[in-house]
Amino acid sequence: MNEIKVDHVTKKYGKKVVLNDLNITLNYPSITGLIGRNGSGKTTLLNMLIGYKKPSSGVIKVFGENPFDSLFVSTNTLFVDDRMQIPNTLNLNEILIEMGRFYPNWDEQLASKLFNYFDLPPNSLHQNLSKGKKSIFNMIVGLSAYAYFTVFDEPMTGMDEAVRKDMYRALLKNYLEKPRIMIISSHHLKEVEYLLENLILLDEGSIVFDGDIEAFRNYAVGLTGKVGKLEKWAETKDLLYHERVAIDDAYVVIKNNVSQAELDLYSQKQSPVETRDLLIYLTNKRRGVIDDVFKTDEIESSK
Amino acid sequence: MSIDPRSTEPIYVQIAYWLENEILKGTFKADEQVLSQYALADMFNINPATAAKGLTLIADEKIVYNRRGLGKFVSPNAKELIVEKRQTKRLEPLIRQITEEASYLKMSEETLIKKIKQAYKKAGEFDE
Repeated sequence: MNEIKVDHVTKKYGKKVVLNDLNITLNYPSITGLIGRNGSGKTTLLNMLIGYKKPSSGVIKVFGENPFDSLFVSTNTLFVDDRMQIPNTLNLNEILIEMGRFYPNWDEQLASKLFNYFDLPPNSLHQNLSKGKKSIFNMIVGLSAYAYFTVFDEPMTGMDEAVRKDMYRALLKNYLEKPRIMIISSHHLKEVEYLLENLILLDEGSIVFDGDIEAFRNYAVGLTGKVGKLEKWAETKDLLYHERVAIDDAYVVIKNNVSQAELDLYSQKQSPVETRDLLIYLTNKRRGVIDDVFKTDEIESSK
Repeated sequence: MSIDPRSTEPIYVQIAYWLENEILKGTFKADEQVLSQYALADMFNINPATAAKGLTLIADEKIVYNRRGLGKFVSPNAKELIVEKRQTKRLEPLIRQITEEASYLKMSEETLIKKIKQAYKKAGEFDE
């Protein structure tokens, strides 16, 4: 009952399938990274988890309840993003007071300490803040509410490097104080990787990876070897990427499900694959590579 | 020492390694409590589940033991276990690597040993 469950959930807009048959479990407590490119369906998924939208089919349970139209879920969840609805008739200080009335676990002291630390103007209106300051304010709300389920969707938009670093540190400290369910959605895996326990990678509405962050780091292996020998063999495996290096050497990336002996037999060097690169390989399959765009001559001549 | 997120070694392995070093140095003595997953997470700025994995790793090797509800404590024979494990699993492969490289470079045994002696002296100073 403490967890969040997504059971065979599909979301369509008209005929377009935006999310295709997703199954996800988020345990209490945990921090999960939701990573995907623009248009992968991240925000749609988050909107459904938080109860802003309904799935076309399938079932979502947040702490045992359907989040859509549930007051219980809405007082215990918080969605931090740059489209947060903040009234413009109240100044920042008044908004914080109102937030404290709505969220049962609101920590007034934390809110005002963060507010001072990040030097926000208490009498200003939200709409008059810079992009970075808006994000800072939204984060302060997200952390101080201590909602049992908190979603951060690209929460650091517009913040400078130093502030981002502080804010990630604040997020971790905040979690350690009261561990709960958090999702951090971002384009920048590298920036949040160390904070995460789990990772969900979405691509074109489907889950490409769902598991332990450490398992993701070991998901693939990079191999260097002689073109003839390595390439042919790699094609019989789960090949994620390949390129020619030097004259007769090749570099390939395959799924890490092959015995060490076999790796030694077909490659000369094995290396770990950076998570940043792995993300690209796993979400590039149907897109090809940028070089393909410039290949018009070849395509025409082969016709 | 700090955690290197770019290292090929998983963060939880680095945590286990750090804890082992602290036990060897005597920061945590036999039957004393080691840091909790939350204290480690705070200290190294990582997810507490990752820190917990590091603790589990050395618990599985009996370097620390569990006291229900209290946390993890250093085993009386922890130092011996660490030394034994690290000599075979860590030090010996490193020695092989160094000697291999030295022989590629046609470095004499004498020069290599001299360099090792110098480095050993420095490591001793560093430890103080």
